[in-house]
Amino acid sequence: MTQQSGTVARADAKRRGGAGLLVLPAALWYVGFLIAPLIVLFVMSLGERSPNGGYAPGLTLEQYANLTSRITPLTNTLGLALLNTVICVIVAFPVAYTLALKVRGGWKLALVALVVVPFWTSFLIRTYAWMTVLGNQGIPRLLSGVGLGEIQLLNTPFAVSLGIVYNYLPLMVLPIYVSLERLDHSFVEASRDLGAGPIATLRQIVLPLAAPGILSGIVLVFIPVMGEYLIPILLGGGKTYFLGNALADLFLQSRNWPFGSALAAVFVAGMIVLVALYLWVSSRLVRSGREASLL
Amino acid sequence: MTNGRDPAEITRLAIQRRMSRRTFLAGTGAGLGALALAGCAPPSGASSAPTTGGSSAVPSPASSGASAPASAALGDTLTLATWPNYHSQEVLDAFTAETGVAINVAVYGSTEEMEAKLRAGNSGIDVVVPSNYAIEGWVADSLIEPIDYAKLPDFVREDWNPLFMDQAFDKGNAVSIPKNWGTTGIAYRAGRVPEGVTTWKQFFELAGTTYKGKTLIVDHQISSFGSASVAMGYSLNTIDPTEMTAVEAMLTALKPKLFAISSDVQPPLRNEDTWLSIAWTGDGVQVGRDNDDVKYVVATDGGELWIDSFTVAADAPHRDAAYAFLNYITQPDQAAAETEFSLFPHANDKATALLPAEIKDNAIIYPPADSLAKLEYAVNATYNSPERAEAWARIKASA
Repeated sequence: MTQQSGTVARADAKRRGGAGLLVLPAALWYVGFLIAPLIVLFVMSLGERSPNGGYAPGLTLEQYANLTSRITPLTNTLGLALLNTVICVIVAFPVAYTLALKVRGGWKLALVALVVVPFWTSFLIRTYAWMTVLGNQGIPRLLSGVGLGEIQLLNTPFAVSLGIVYNYLPLMVLPIYVSLERLDHSFVEASRDLGAGPIATLRQIVLPLAAPGILSGIVLVFIPVMGEYLIPILLGGGKTYFLGNALADLFLQSRNWPFGSALAAVFVAGMIVLVALYLWVSSRLVRSGREASLL
Repeated sequence: MTNGRDPAEITRLAIQRRMSRRTFLAGTGAGLGALALAGCAPPSGASSAPTTGGSSAVPSPASSGASAPASAALGDTLTLATWPNYHSQEVLDAFTAETGVAINVAVYGSTEEMEAKLRAGNSGIDVVVPSNYAIEGWVADSLIEPIDYAKLPDFVREDWNPLFMDQAFDKGNAVSIPKNWGTTGIAYRAGRVPEGVTTWKQFFELAGTTYKGKTLIVDHQISSFGSASVAMGYSLNTIDPTEMTAVEAMLTALKPKLFAISSDVQPPLRNEDTWLSIAWTGDGVQVGRDNDDVKYVVATDGGELWIDSFTVAADAPHRDAAYAFLNYITQPDQAAAETEFSLFPHANDKATALLPAEIKDNAIIYPPADSLAKLEYAVNATYNSPERAEAWARIKASA
């Protein structure tokens, strides 16, 4: 018996060793390209700007104290990221719902493919295209032709929002689509049979089951939008100032690496908290989902 | 060899090159996109022999005495960190044909981006072309090395315009040789701005009133904050706290009325999205050539004069090739061909003399000397002033 359990333990260890070996490349990857740079970032954030730019070693929290000077870009970014994520959810849900539950067969495949098609063209080129559409020779010209007067669209917060929603919408549609696609249609039928109206069914059956997808979509959209840099430059004309722009300016204009590192460190920490929160909420959702289906 | 490109050809090139030299995006992120889009050369590190189909060291018989002897000691590549649309590919190819050294052109949207790469170390960059204001700091931090003129046997100091040599930022040209120079001026659509603009004072007044929503300032602390300082009667280089506060207040109030803060000067000017714009010489020349309506003026109340210069990176992996290149590119023939391509004025008088009349007599490319008298070079203290950098950041962040 003891012998047997010993054999089992050894086999177990062997299996674990094998798995460890398989994980090694990924582990090295993360240590080398994620953990190590984060450490460098943190160490640099404790330094000082050398008189001619760049980094001079130091051990000070001065850079963190200076962060108050970047409150405006932070609130700008948070506000616009939240707003645009909400817009994405509102726009994406009906699209995903229609794709998953209303369209059948070949049409469905074609339409889902169309959601992905924009990714075939470079993000930069698509955003440049919007510059033409929103610029003086584009929509404003049409509008003034109809007698609506001079309207500026390009380089406004509206243009920035439009660019963000346009670019990130597929990242919201797809996860919601996937979660709805797996939805067992008999639940919906049962709900209707039992007398629930369409709105009650949506609220009590469809939305809770789609919640993990919505949550993934929110994370997929919110986090990159928080780091967005190009859209504010191209469609906002540099007048809408995001955290990403503040960071880029610190490295590429002021050449203040320690301050830039401190700002980046706080940003990364914030995002880690957010992802942790996401994991916690989604694990609870899955558990409650399992309980619900047991009932 | 084929220096005489006809005017129509120049116009065509100017049209192709719609983007401003500094354009290029800062936006594309670490300049990588710039490399991909500029498409003028393989990215640095690519060991492919570009362009002329094989970089075999066949000396071109037509190129004259300026040539360094083809030598295996030079190695086979050279990395040149420079601005978009700044070099004549023919000149670069001729160098490759003569020496067997293939040139990797790495394109950057700003001096600051070049600096970020150099400071990070191990950049692989051999020759880099920064603007004047960065040079002192780069010397202090040993990012570039003193030029060994013994390795430039064909360089003739007397050929060069004293106006642009031996400047305060590099006495005796110890570390830098001018590539091209230029001004930071005012571009406007004459049809929309009938009164014309001649001073920065006028520019900033009109920007907030008559041409609200139609004015662009560039996303560059030195050029924009500096020109605004001039408008208020201060030096381009002011770092005086009271003066900076006044300039900051003026620009913060102006910001909501601007069309954009962007270094992508040319597209909105061409589209008439902007009627009034800060611009660099090349923007003025290129847009002006394509469109008679666009005028470029050097302000009469002051402003920025700048020089981009060839420098040799302190950790240049191909030092000998770098010097062979400098020896070659600073010769009048090559310098003239480069100027014909980039349409920025050159500091080598012999090169200027070789240019066709429509370039050397073009008052935008070569403004009369007296119009330059009031202009200032941006200095290291301005470039590295934390207070100015923060003032600019606050302006950009303001609502």
